[in-house]
Amino acid sequence: MAVADNDFICILGPSGCGKSTLLRIVAGLDVPSTGRVLLDGQPVARPGPDRGMVFQSYTLFPWLTVRQNVLFGSRATPAVADALIARVGLRGFENHFPKMLSGGMQQRTALARALANDPKILLLDEPFGALDNQTRALMQELLLGIWEADRKTVLFVTHDIDEAIFMASRVAVMSARPGHIKHELKIDLPHPRHYTMKTGADFSRYKAELTEQIRVESIRAAQMEH
Amino acid sequence: MTPLKPVAPGARVALGVAFFVLFFAAWAAATFGGYVSATFLADPATMLREGWSLLAVHGFIKDILVTIWRVLGGFVLAAALGVPLGIAMGAYKPIEAFFEPFVSFARYLPASAFIPLLILWAGTGEAQKLLVIFVGSFFQVVLMVAVTVGNTRRDLVEAAYTLGVTDRGIVRRVLLPSSAPEMAEILRLVLGWAWTYVIVAELIGSSSGIGHMIMDSQALLNTGQIIFGIIVIGFIGLASDFLFKALNRRLFPWSLA
Repeated sequence: MAVADNDFICILGPSGCGKSTLLRIVAGLDVPSTGRVLLDGQPVARPGPDRGMVFQSYTLFPWLTVRQNVLFGSRATPAVADALIARVGLRGFENHFPKMLSGGMQQRTALARALANDPKILLLDEPFGALDNQTRALMQELLLGIWEADRKTVLFVTHDIDEAIFMASRVAVMSARPGHIKHELKIDLPHPRHYTMKTGADFSRYKAELTEQIRVESIRAAQMEH
Repeated sequence: MTPLKPVAPGARVALGVAFFVLFFAAWAAATFGGYVSATFLADPATMLREGWSLLAVHGFIKDILVTIWRVLGGFVLAAALGVPLGIAMGAYKPIEAFFEPFVSFARYLPASAFIPLLILWAGTGEAQKLLVIFVGSFFQVVLMVAVTVGNTRRDLVEAAYTLGVTDRGIVRRVLLPSSAPEMAEILRLVLGWAWTYVIVAELIGSSSGIGHMIMDSQALLNTGQIIFGIIVIGFIGLASDFLFKALNRRLFPWSLA
């Protein structure tokens, strides 16, 4: 699987298929048993600031304020950090500790923290998975808006089909055990994308196709558990 | 009563004070009522009178200060050496594998059993008192700090790595700040234990300190002074605990629920 610069790829799969592991291997947090990851031709051996990551769990450093968290990365600068805090709508909360923030605000801070370090690739591991539906939809639009402006390369792991279609320029469907990419689908929805697209005819067509693909995998994964 | 239901702040204080009152009332009833011989248990009034004479006539303040100095000295020594070793063990697993079995064994050696040996080695002076507290506190501090540091949330460590932090930076920027409040809590706990060790050390072969006064009073059958000494220890413990808690709240406002 090759990922081009400025691409937004969603990795879609049933739970337990190894999509998070794939992302962690790209981040350098896990070591692959076979195969390798190349970034601009260089093999990935360990985590580095060129691959920023947002986790599903809340990973803000609880002893640092919002601003200190965003400034944590080795390449973050105060000017960039302040701009990003404003961008994710947290101006006025710079001096709050994470425990004072809602889940959505924490993930927005985590997104700003990853972006402030100016990574080549942004890795997102179900970052909105723990959020309620309304917050999740707003976060999707926020992230999409940032991507449409900056065109960072993004790898986004999710099991939510709507989320994958709405965000991605390409969706990769992963199969369960052995986990590999079994299907790729280019999403030709125009940018900037608006949330009303989620009810459009094109969207429904993509959704029907992906639902079928995922369903087969989910059944296989469920059968293997017995 | 509903389980886990909080009690109003006013009622909480009233209940706490009520037990103190009840305790002293029972004590007063037992002694003033003549149910217990004055030889074995002084009444509260005698205790206060003896306490006053201790402070005014016998220079008990000096004993109190000596004991506080010993506790702090032994505690600071144990913390200064134990905390860094605990951090190293918690952060680096080979170091933990090297020290952990011995420290786990040593923590069960009772500090009081070392007193005869320590008197042999260090005499009956200040060095011996500090060593008793050190032996009692050091291994506990090491183990508890190692566990705390080792339990640092892995996802915070991983997040730091993806932000470009180096291996040494992980210790300084993640492991230390994330376990700092618990380390302070461990030190507060161990300081409480240090008070037990110092009194034991002073009961045997000492010429000053609260424990020494208690031994002297026993020889004179002065239970009033003994009880006064014990109560003084209790109050100092309470005060130091309160100060420690207040300091922790100030230092780590982010960790409060």
